[in-house]
Amino acid sequence: MLPLSIKDDEYKPAKFNLLVKISGWFRSILSDKTSRNLFFFLCLNLSFAFVELSYGIWNNSLGLISDSFHMFFDCTALLAGLAASVISRWRSNDSFSYGYVRAEVLAGFVNGLFLIFTAFFIFSEGVERALEPPHVNHDRLLPVSVAGLLVNLVGIFVFQHGGHGHSHGGDEGHGHSHSLFNGNTGHGHSHGGHGHESKHGDGHEHSHGDGHGHSHGGHGHSHEGPHCHDELHMPGKGSSKQILQGVFLHIVADTLGSVGVIISAILMQKYDLMIADPICSMCISILIGVSVVPLLRESIGILMQRTPPSLDNALPECYQRVQQLQGVYNLQEPHFWTLCTDVYIGTLKLLIAPDADCKWILSQTHNIFTQAGVRQLYVQIEVATM
Amino acid sequence: MACEPNRVRLLCMLSLTFGFFIVEVVVSRITASLAMLSDSFHMLSDVIALVVALVAVRFAEKTQSTNKNTFGWIRAEVMGALVNAVFLTALCFTIILEAVERFTNPHEIEKPHVVIGVGAAGLLVNLLGLCLFHGHAGGGHGHSHGGGHSHGNKKNKRGKICKSERPNGSSGEESNNLVGSHNSPPNGVNTERHRHEIVRNDSEVHMNGSVVYEDMDHSHDEASLNMRGVFLHVLGDALGSVIVVVNALIFTFVWRPCPPGETCFNPCHSTDHQHVNHTLVDLFVDSNGSSFQRTMVGPCWVLYLDPTLCIIMVGILLYTTYPLLKESALILLQTVPKQIDMHRLNERLLLLDGVLAIHELHIWQLAGSRIIATAHIKCHDPTSYMDVAKRIKDFFHNEGIHATTIQPEFVTVNSESSASLCELSCRTQCAPKLCCGATDKPGVAGTGPAGTEKGPSGEGKALAASAMEVISEIPEGAAGAGASVLEQAAAAVIQVVPRIPEPEVIITREVESSL
Repeated sequence: MLPLSIKDDEYKPAKFNLLVKISGWFRSILSDKTSRNLFFFLCLNLSFAFVELSYGIWNNSLGLISDSFHMFFDCTALLAGLAASVISRWRSNDSFSYGYVRAEVLAGFVNGLFLIFTAFFIFSEGVERALEPPHVNHDRLLPVSVAGLLVNLVGIFVFQHGGHGHSHGGDEGHGHSHSLFNGNTGHGHSHGGHGHESKHGDGHEHSHGDGHGHSHGGHGHSHEGPHCHDELHMPGKGSSKQILQGVFLHIVADTLGSVGVIISAILMQKYDLMIADPICSMCISILIGVSVVPLLRESIGILMQRTPPSLDNALPECYQRVQQLQGVYNLQEPHFWTLCTDVYIGTLKLLIAPDADCKWILSQTHNIFTQAGVRQLYVQIEVATM
Repeated sequence: MACEPNRVRLLCMLSLTFGFFIVEVVVSRITASLAMLSDSFHMLSDVIALVVALVAVRFAEKTQSTNKNTFGWIRAEVMGALVNAVFLTALCFTIILEAVERFTNPHEIEKPHVVIGVGAAGLLVNLLGLCLFHGHAGGGHGHSHGGGHSHGNKKNKRGKICKSERPNGSSGEESNNLVGSHNSPPNGVNTERHRHEIVRNDSEVHMNGSVVYEDMDHSHDEASLNMRGVFLHVLGDALGSVIVVVNALIFTFVWRPCPPGETCFNPCHSTDHQHVNHTLVDLFVDSNGSSFQRTMVGPCWVLYLDPTLCIIMVGILLYTTYPLLKESALILLQTVPKQIDMHRLNERLLLLDGVLAIHELHIWQLAGSRIIATAHIKCHDPTSYMDVAKRIKDFFHNEGIHATTIQPEFVTVNSESSASLCELSCRTQCAPKLCCGATDKPGVAGTGPAGTEKGPSGEGKALAASAMEVISEIPEGAAGAGASVLEQAAAAVIQVVPRIPEPEVIITREVESSL
């Protein structure tokens, strides 16, 4: 018997798989505009951080070193966004029957958490500094802050335009002006090296930037509205909004930080207002905290399996229509939830008369809900015993 | 309520920690010690973690469904665990940052005695917290699976009854987690299946929950995800206090400080200081002229002890936090619960009477042991449906899945072999890709919204099975606008589903494949 095929995939040596996997990831990253932007911005940020680190080590400036560490920390936010955008495109398998689309929501949520943590941290440092103003070394502060600000602005600009790169065809028509949120994750923060060399007796060198200002500018995403056009195509792409939003907030936070550092540096140099530094940090941290709240609320809602907010009005009407179908006695236990942005899933139970036409009721119900925007619906039919 | 102990513990610990935080702030103001102040902020972060856990517990008790949250607030505990785990990770990063700073610029400890005192007090508080929460979190770790049918393991269940299954009142007894809550990656499904086989043989009886497996452990484990997060946080703090105390002790006994009134040479500081000291000392030597004994400050390695210990602690913390992070993230990603093997489930489902095919099977975990499943099941006709439905429900009950929604699809008229087709397809993101295609082969449960670019390959996979026949469904009277019958050369693409919502009966026609 001749073999019909030679399938020796499973016998291939394992080491090839790693290279294949990595190259696969790269291809995947570079294929989508969003992740491409994220990747390049991540590289930019990382290189800036390395430059700052080496400069700090060379000059033995603790402020710069710690600031570069903060940039690394922020790069993790970018990395999380990038990973999420790649992961969410993987195919579904046995363990993930819905695929990995939720990764985006999770990434947005985690980014939001990191931001809150950062805000809290900056606030605490601000308080400490207010109580014991350290000696701040001004010289290296300004150039670094300005450089960081430039990097951030690049991020904002890049993501403002390209962030929306989904091939979503009709998306542009939706007046997404803000959506660029999505891209703006870059926090270029140049947390200005507050180069305080000598803290005080205890040497608790906190030189981390308090400059995490974030301008929160981009919160315009009022665009939650169902991307009605043709969701048939890539509903998944629309959901990268979450990541992008988180990333954008991060970038904006950094930009504000740089701006804040610059302002406080100027104040300190010109007017010798030492108190400007901690006050600036505290304001900035509060701003960051406040701006993150919408993102958090949204992703918490999705993760908690809450009924999609955009369907809140449409659902009761749909229920009524279904109950008016011929043969339907009752509609019970409706559950609607968001899988990822714009992908809604619902289940419900219908109690129908023994002589009703099952198939017709099923297809009608599906239609009613499809018009509302719920694509995946599971309708359980229970025939009333009479 | 059975959940009270949790809340009480949390409140206790919360008040203790908050009180200690206040104490530390006051002490730091009195002694003007910045290290103390920053340590107090660490305590504050602990307080925040406890608050998060408390809020999550409060919310998770509301299992009733509300208008907006039809599943109730149960997921809150998973979220609380995730928030705590992320918080811990971020803290670890911060500690690494500070440790690295210390490495580059080591400092002596000012007023080590005060530090010892406060550190010891903090350690006490944290140890108390550990004891409080150990009972909860400890069970989460060492669970035996497979052979461990410790029937009497009810003690774990007791506290978590408040999260009992609302839907079908079978209180989770029958949820047999044959494979205990192992933290194995989802790909480990093969090994689990293996164990599944072995254990299955001697436990067919578990239908009525007579052999109650380690479910207790599992549900306990899941239910206390939140508590595990809190436990880890407290553990991290305890480690921190230990390090502080150890460091201060070693410092007191080993370090030879600069005697007051004398100039001393400090070889441990950075070059700047050294430089400064050096010049000063030189000045002194010059001015005094005579041999000037330079006293060297204590052994330098003592200064590096602190950051080293910190890094070790961070390593330990990250290692223990990672499983928690992973578990809660997986639940939130809607994975199929670890103990459920989709393939086997599919196979066994197909073995049931009256079930012709299964499409779009999705199983996910809400929280704890609440597992939810949805599927389309294809059956013969409506009359036999209720019967089949009951059997399917029982089947799922035995698997431990109590909240199921089964959508029936009926095979219409004269086509025996069209069992594979989805009568009511998802009609959305799967329209371009085949959502349910195989014949009697189980498992192709739709590609879901994720693999958008991988669509065609998904189709290919589905079609390989049904290459033999081409079945097309065309709604009577409706133009072909909706129904798409695609016949490709390579394989038959069965594009199910009439897109047009006509109330007519769908008629299936078998068309011989004539590609």
